[in-house]
Amino acid sequence: MSKYVERFNTRERVLHWFVTVTFFTQLLSGLGLFSRLFVGYLDLFGGGQGAIMVHKYAGILFLASSLLLFLNHRKEISTLDDDDRVWLSKLGGYLSRDTYEENNGKFNAGQKLFGIFMGASTVILGITGFVIWFPVLLPRSLVQVSLLVHGLIFVLFIMFVIVHIYLATIGNPGTLDGMLWGRVSRIWARKHHVKWYKEITGQEKAS
Amino acid sequence: MAESRMGFLIDTSRCIACRSCQVACKQWNKLEADTTANHGSYENPGDLTPNLYNRIRFIEKADGGSMKWLFMNERCVHCGDAGCMKVCPAPGALYRTNEGFIVHNKEKCIACKYCVSACPFGVPRYGADDKVSKCHLCYDRLGVGKPPACAKACPTQTLQYGPRNGLIAKVKAAKKTVYGEADLSGLGVLYVLDDKPEVYGLPANPSIPTAIFLWKDVVKPLGILGFWGSIAAVLFHYVTTGPKQIEEENQKTGGDRHE
Repeated sequence: MSKYVERFNTRERVLHWFVTVTFFTQLLSGLGLFSRLFVGYLDLFGGGQGAIMVHKYAGILFLASSLLLFLNHRKEISTLDDDDRVWLSKLGGYLSRDTYEENNGKFNAGQKLFGIFMGASTVILGITGFVIWFPVLLPRSLVQVSLLVHGLIFVLFIMFVIVHIYLATIGNPGTLDGMLWGRVSRIWARKHHVKWYKEITGQEKAS
Repeated sequence: MAESRMGFLIDTSRCIACRSCQVACKQWNKLEADTTANHGSYENPGDLTPNLYNRIRFIEKADGGSMKWLFMNERCVHCGDAGCMKVCPAPGALYRTNEGFIVHNKEKCIACKYCVSACPFGVPRYGADDKVSKCHLCYDRLGVGKPPACAKACPTQTLQYGPRNGLIAKVKAAKKTVYGEADLSGLGVLYVLDDKPEVYGLPANPSIPTAIFLWKDVVKPLGILGFWGSIAAVLFHYVTTGPKQIEEENQKTGGDRHE
């Protein structure tokens, strides 16, 4: 028997990394617009006008791909069961070195909430982004609020992304394999997502 | 701003709406004519445009049984604390001269149009070139000791250029009220009005739009703090609580523990 089980199929992995690339394109092209502190980033795109153009069109790709990623997983992340509530009450066991017996499905409660936040943020960034695209045609107050909300959601987004990267790499060794080449070790699956592991293998205890 | 700050006074009570200022501005700044339509008022054009840096606003006010005209020269008022400069991401696209006025440089403008949203007076315009344009108070004349073209052309001394403090003192000596003395760290363009500011389409208490203030003065600094705070938090977590290792499975399956 293989030491590994499949966690994300090829389509899911390609989509995830596509969203990643468009996100970082948005980050780099948008930083110089967010604050003059980051004015140097505009030069990556041949100046401010280039950065704005990239930000607009890569923004459409980010909106479409990130929304698709959310929709693909919406059934897996839209409900919280009792085990998720236990996870939330213990904050996933992240605040202590003592481990507890996690009983998570494919995604734990934190991952579910992260996914919902990402989906909602994508929509809000998309809507406010389109408003900012046409600042002269649309009502002034709408554009002003959109500039504020676009900046606010961006700030929250980047903070969640930092935590996401940490938890998916050095914070939980073995996790990244699932998104890089699709498979995770059975040991990893039993520790982090035992309910999911039982589902896909149809067994109580792995050999 | 410094004592040496220059100012520009618009005494609306003196204005006869000859529009010499509009014409002089067009001529000095080589601005194209706009095609306009008659909308039942002598006011023309009906709004500032990318080719019209200042214009006379005609306000028709009921006065007993008849009608009274109020005339006001409308333009960029060169705020001391300027919303346009607060939001502009392109260095040098909007800058302040030694005299204290705000000048735009079309070559540096990146067409984000944030200044349009941030201006408390709704002044900046974008034309076919997709670059910012507004009154720069003839910075290219002030530098060689000449008054702005509009003030030079004004036959009634409605428009006066001089040291800001001196202009304010002169108005106060005449027992009139100055609009813009302290608002937004003092406007570079001051008004003497014959009626309430709202009648002229000016905000009674001009300020940076609330959403723009929250964006630039709250979300931006807290966001930078949040970014570095998040990185510090995950690193702190790594070296204190540490990662979730998956070692103990070896015990359950009876294997040797290798550490």
